[in-house]
Amino acid sequence: MNTALKPSDIAKPADSLCHIAAGDLLPLPAPYEDFNQITIPPLNPEKIKNIETSLDDTVAIGIPRPATKEEEDALVRQFLSGLKKLFEKENNWTFLQPFILSMEYCAKCQTCSDACPVYETSGRKEIYRPIFRAEVLRRIYRKYLKAGGKITSKFTGDIDLNWTTIARLAELSYRCTLCRRCASVCPIGVDNGLINHEIRKLFSQEMGIAPKEIHDKGTVQHLRVGSSTGMTPPAAKDSVEFIQEEMEEITGYKVAIPWDVEGADILLLHNAGEMLAWPENVGAFAIIFQAAGLSWTMSSEAAGYDAVNYGLWYDDVQFSRVAVRHADIARRLKVKKIVMGECGHAHKALTVIADRLLTGDLNIPRESAMVTLADIVLTGKIQLDTRKNNFPVTLHDPCNIVRAMGIVEPQRRILRKIAPGFREMTPHGVDNYCCGGGSGFAIMSGYNFAQWRNLVSSRKKFIQILNAFVGEPPEVPKYVCAPCSNCKGAIRDIIGYYHAEERSNIHYGGLVELIVNAMVGMKKSIIQFDGKPSWEP
Amino acid sequence: MGFYILTYLCIAVFIGATGCLIYRQISLPLHVRWEIYPVQHETTAKVAYGGSYMEEVNWWNNPYKSSRFNELKYMVPEILFLRGLWKENRSLWRLTFPFHFGLYLMLATFALMLIHAILTLWGPAAFTTGNALSSFLDGLIAGAGWIGLVLGSIGGLALLTKRVGDREWRNYSSLSDYFNLGFILIFFLSAFTSAFLYDPWLDGAKTYTYGLLTGGQALNAYVPSRSIAGRITIASASLLMAYIPLTHMSHMFMKYFLYHQVKWDDVPNESGGLIEAAIKNKLALKPTWQAKHIRADGHKSWRDIASSTPKETK
Repeated sequence: MNTALKPSDIAKPADSLCHIAAGDLLPLPAPYEDFNQITIPPLNPEKIKNIETSLDDTVAIGIPRPATKEEEDALVRQFLSGLKKLFEKENNWTFLQPFILSMEYCAKCQTCSDACPVYETSGRKEIYRPIFRAEVLRRIYRKYLKAGGKITSKFTGDIDLNWTTIARLAELSYRCTLCRRCASVCPIGVDNGLINHEIRKLFSQEMGIAPKEIHDKGTVQHLRVGSSTGMTPPAAKDSVEFIQEEMEEITGYKVAIPWDVEGADILLLHNAGEMLAWPENVGAFAIIFQAAGLSWTMSSEAAGYDAVNYGLWYDDVQFSRVAVRHADIARRLKVKKIVMGECGHAHKALTVIADRLLTGDLNIPRESAMVTLADIVLTGKIQLDTRKNNFPVTLHDPCNIVRAMGIVEPQRRILRKIAPGFREMTPHGVDNYCCGGGSGFAIMSGYNFAQWRNLVSSRKKFIQILNAFVGEPPEVPKYVCAPCSNCKGAIRDIIGYYHAEERSNIHYGGLVELIVNAMVGMKKSIIQFDGKPSWEP
Repeated sequence: MGFYILTYLCIAVFIGATGCLIYRQISLPLHVRWEIYPVQHETTAKVAYGGSYMEEVNWWNNPYKSSRFNELKYMVPEILFLRGLWKENRSLWRLTFPFHFGLYLMLATFALMLIHAILTLWGPAAFTTGNALSSFLDGLIAGAGWIGLVLGSIGGLALLTKRVGDREWRNYSSLSDYFNLGFILIFFLSAFTSAFLYDPWLDGAKTYTYGLLTGGQALNAYVPSRSIAGRITIASASLLMAYIPLTHMSHMFMKYFLYHQVKWDDVPNESGGLIEAAIKNKLALKPTWQAKHIRADGHKSWRDIASSTPKETK
């Protein structure tokens, strides 16, 4: 089964509903044509013996197969119970109105399909259409939960509900990055991305089904240990100590990262993944804030040093718990505002979504680091020599910062000032394409999911990056500025997967690194290309 | 008189069903923000690139502003000319614009005919004997009506062809989708036939509209329901009016909620404000989600649950 699938086909038995063959994917330009015949490697039969794999070529969740028909039936009942709750204010006041509107007013005009990078790059595989999974849910709802649905479904669109339907729908909800490009182009305002979000919630909140990277190792670990990275408060302090030493080598003077300063103006929240994978990002923030003379602090309390909130992608309750924890830490530190570091989903989670969750003294003002940094750079609080960033730079727009928050220009104003070789991707700003790592994909790598991500969901971004540097000689080092940890992770992976550093000399990093790289008085260059400093002292 | 009764009933269903739809939306609880930028009521400078008030340092110290003018600048062309579709899906716009604009012109024609009837009943005496205003209104009615009929018929046929012939559309279409289009097409084609054969200046339609205000008392001898096409036109127009709010075709006006209460709802929660009061109210609701990590038992509120940490992972 592949090309002419209908929503009702999701219930039909088949080993796989969709297969991406070699050559199906959106072609890559030179010198990457050799990847055009590469497809997703087969799943290891030993690893998938007892899990559901009948959707496509990959697995995100790994749902155990029910052992008996009774178990299957019980799961179907659980699913319907969860679906009903999505329409109840007691259970879903958070998204009830947006959900109902999107469930009821789709005209099935397919305008959303062309906007979806996963659908496009997959070679237009039917199951990846934004409307496919939404239409499956609409039909189940109308047939199984609305009065007279069994009869009216012959008229409004039929579908069978069985374990196969449910298992595939759960997996399918993890083939959309929730970038909401589909919603932004819908002429009616329907949001099929939101329906995907609600499907994930149903599975998590009612059935306890979610990828382990975002639940067990994500929100659960975050709340218990202090960080989704598994880093405890003492480990976070150790990491920062190491970062301070590294930064002192770069600046030539002591860089102090303040912890738990009560009454500071700013509580800076980083994605803790930065401390482990990109410590220079944390250090660069410290250099800039120190040089600008800001009053700021970080929190060493569990969850206070990790801005992530994976609940945003799949579970309102877990989301609320993390958001309340963040706000409470800021409240007790008596800071004037929280500044969100370079983490896109954390921006949206705490600034926009939690805005209608936090009340009273928990409602501490939140600001994007893009804004804080633009103020520092553009008002001359630090001295800059922009000649130091004399290499081509392009900017990736994290969906959660740009399309979901409208923070578009501050980062551009900075780049126009500090990077003479800055050029935009096409399209960019609110029309941007997702990095392919959105909604948890950047941290999900079980089974062969990482390959699926590199080949399918991140492919459009890779093509955009290549196009941004067209005309630049291969040997010239190029910098993709991605001011978001998950985006940076996804871009790191595509650069590695397609050997883009070797073939096109493409590198990546955050925004603060570029700022520090241009700062006057630094002993060493913070940005390195092939282990060499981007400028010589 | 039977047709008038049918039309009155259908108008009542339309009003009742639309009222229910709107009431349902306005009685739904406050939800979390889920806006997408560009938010069209932002300042002109920010709308141009999709920026928000959150781009400002300490944005919470600035008063929240919402430009109704900028919103209208976007919404009027969106409603009238489907500008979003023009930008995102030009090939579909070519089919659906005539259809939608045809429907709008039909509504406009009906509104003009109502004005005509009101002026005939209660306007200056000169209007009934044919003054300049009367002639102007007659011309407008005929012009809007004919253009609407032609556009709507072409658009309806084009959309039906697309839904039947295009695999991408067919695979997602249900019988109700075909029925809805077919229903509207029956109206357009019967109205076109009726006008073409019997009522080129839409005098009969005006008379029928006049009759709606007078309980079936027509001004002159002609009654459109005497022809089969006229009967079908009146019946289908009336039934369509009742049917639209019962289907997803009510997106014509429910779009207001999709845009204003979701896509562009960027109002921040201010301390002591109405939004904060509504949030506090919602946090007292008691969920019943069954996954173990939620730890909902029907007694704990959202507030209790959000401030707890789960022991179970599943």
